[in-house]
Amino acid sequence: MIKIKNLKAEIDGKEILKGIDLEIQPGKVHAIMGPNGSGKSTLSYILAGREEYKVTAGDIELNGESILEMAPEERAAKGVFLAFQYPVEIPGVQMTTFMKTALNSVRKARGLKELDALDFLKLMKSKCKELGISDEMMKRAVTVGFSGGEKKRNEVLQMAMLEPKFSVLDETDSGLDIDALKIVADGVNKMRGGDKSFLVITHYQRLLDYIKPDVVHVLAGGRIVKTGGPELAQELEKTGYANVA
Amino acid sequence: MLPELPSPKLERWKYTNLERALKKIKLTPTALGWGSDVKLLNPHAPGEAQYKDTQLWDLNTSHTKDIKFITSDETIEIIAAEGHWLSPRLVIQVKDGQTVTVIERQNGQGAYWKNGVAQITIGKNAKLRHYRIFEEAEGAVSTQFIHVKIGRDGTYEGFNHIEGAGLIRNQVHTELIGENGTFGIAGLNLLRGEQHSDTTITIEHKAPHCNSNQTYKSVLDGKSRCVFQGKVHVHQIAQKTDGYQLSNALILSPQAEMDTKPELEIYADDVKCSHGATTGKLDEEPLFYMRARGIPEKEARSLLITSFCAQAIDTITDEGIQGNIKEKMAQWLASRT
Repeated sequence: MIKIKNLKAEIDGKEILKGIDLEIQPGKVHAIMGPNGSGKSTLSYILAGREEYKVTAGDIELNGESILEMAPEERAAKGVFLAFQYPVEIPGVQMTTFMKTALNSVRKARGLKELDALDFLKLMKSKCKELGISDEMMKRAVTVGFSGGEKKRNEVLQMAMLEPKFSVLDETDSGLDIDALKIVADGVNKMRGGDKSFLVITHYQRLLDYIKPDVVHVLAGGRIVKTGGPELAQELEKTGYANVA
Repeated sequence: MLPELPSPKLERWKYTNLERALKKIKLTPTALGWGSDVKLLNPHAPGEAQYKDTQLWDLNTSHTKDIKFITSDETIEIIAAEGHWLSPRLVIQVKDGQTVTVIERQNGQGAYWKNGVAQITIGKNAKLRHYRIFEEAEGAVSTQFIHVKIGRDGTYEGFNHIEGAGLIRNQVHTELIGENGTFGIAGLNLLRGEQHSDTTITIEHKAPHCNSNQTYKSVLDGKSRCVFQGKVHVHQIAQKTDGYQLSNALILSPQAEMDTKPELEIYADDVKCSHGATTGKLDEEPLFYMRARGIPEKEARSLLITSFCAQAIDTITDEGIQGNIKEKMAQWLASRT
């Protein structure tokens, strides 16, 4: 379970988050919707441990343990995953090397045996197949020359490989056509259930047609201003953010 | 007593103060026991009149008691000890049509000075692979001067792996004298502490249709300082020259310094010459991305540094040496604190 308590944060002296309270039970999918500049991406970066943001108050707990003081890699090992809005390109580092290093780092931190090259490749190929992703992508340098859709599919593949307990999807729908959106949504839906929690951050309701949330929150001006069921997303699609912000 | 040394007042010694470094060491001329009864010695360096920075060549000539004549594959280990002043001389001749691989492993212990010279001739349609691995002691000074003359369709493939000395100067002078010759040189500088590494390269294109390529990657930690001066001189006759020079430096510490001076001097009108020089820090974005995927910070940095250096290491065509350099690189990264 993830618990965000009265979270306040700033960057360069400017307060972005002004007290966020949010609790996601195991197995549940929450969505955060909100206009541009409401603090959506800031929240996702802070959850993943980006150091440029200064948390000035509050706490974030994963299964009863505060993760606020943990480095990004420690959070990843504990089971936090951020699917980036803009996945980063790393020329010269092959996807396979990157993925194997990441998976084995996380496995090591979780007290599991590291995978050798052969077992790793087997696992990767089976995950690619499961998600309908071509494993040719893994021979290239990290996201270099990937299309928008490939980049996002690659994020979902990484999520599937690292088996996080709590995943944040930051505007995963941006720049995706419907086919790519379906692949990404299918990937998330396959991982749903059990004790895995998700936070889906989006500007548009479109993604939520494919990933049905249990709870929808509206973030505006650094605060959650409204919480409701999936119907809230439909409502926002019709009326826009003007009435809630 | 120290001999007369190149002073930083000379343009091409601007960034490197040899005298200051050598003053700290008590030196005794020492021989490796190779013997010196080889006649093929160029007493003076080529390019003397033009570049006026060849004193160390002459000094090697007057002091050397160690001359090695090489015409086939060879691995040479030059090991110095405290107080040594070595003046080894390599004479490498690759005959027409032959391919030769020469590996130099340079190391030692304590404070010493190596003033080495290598004079190299590569015949028609011949190839030399020249791999030099410098792991000199922290207190050591190493000055190296090589001259390469490349005949028609000849190829030089050089790689310099530089992890030490305290101060190292690698001076390279090449003459492409036959058509369709290729000179390729690449290197890695992995520096920390107060190390100083100076690479000064002059390439003279003296025949048409020749290629030259320089690919240097420097990783600077601590208070280290790195110098890269690369000059491509295209003579009037050398039409269709293709020359490229690349020097990329990665600064890991705010106290480290990189000085880069690319120079092109072109007298032919149908040539393709360019250079690229960058000096920068590690990008934060990929670093965060990797850490968010669970890769510990130190390992993430190492991966990024390794990928930064790959382009230089990839120029090595000998798989064994390439693997060897990759291992050395990994060891260097692992020993970072």
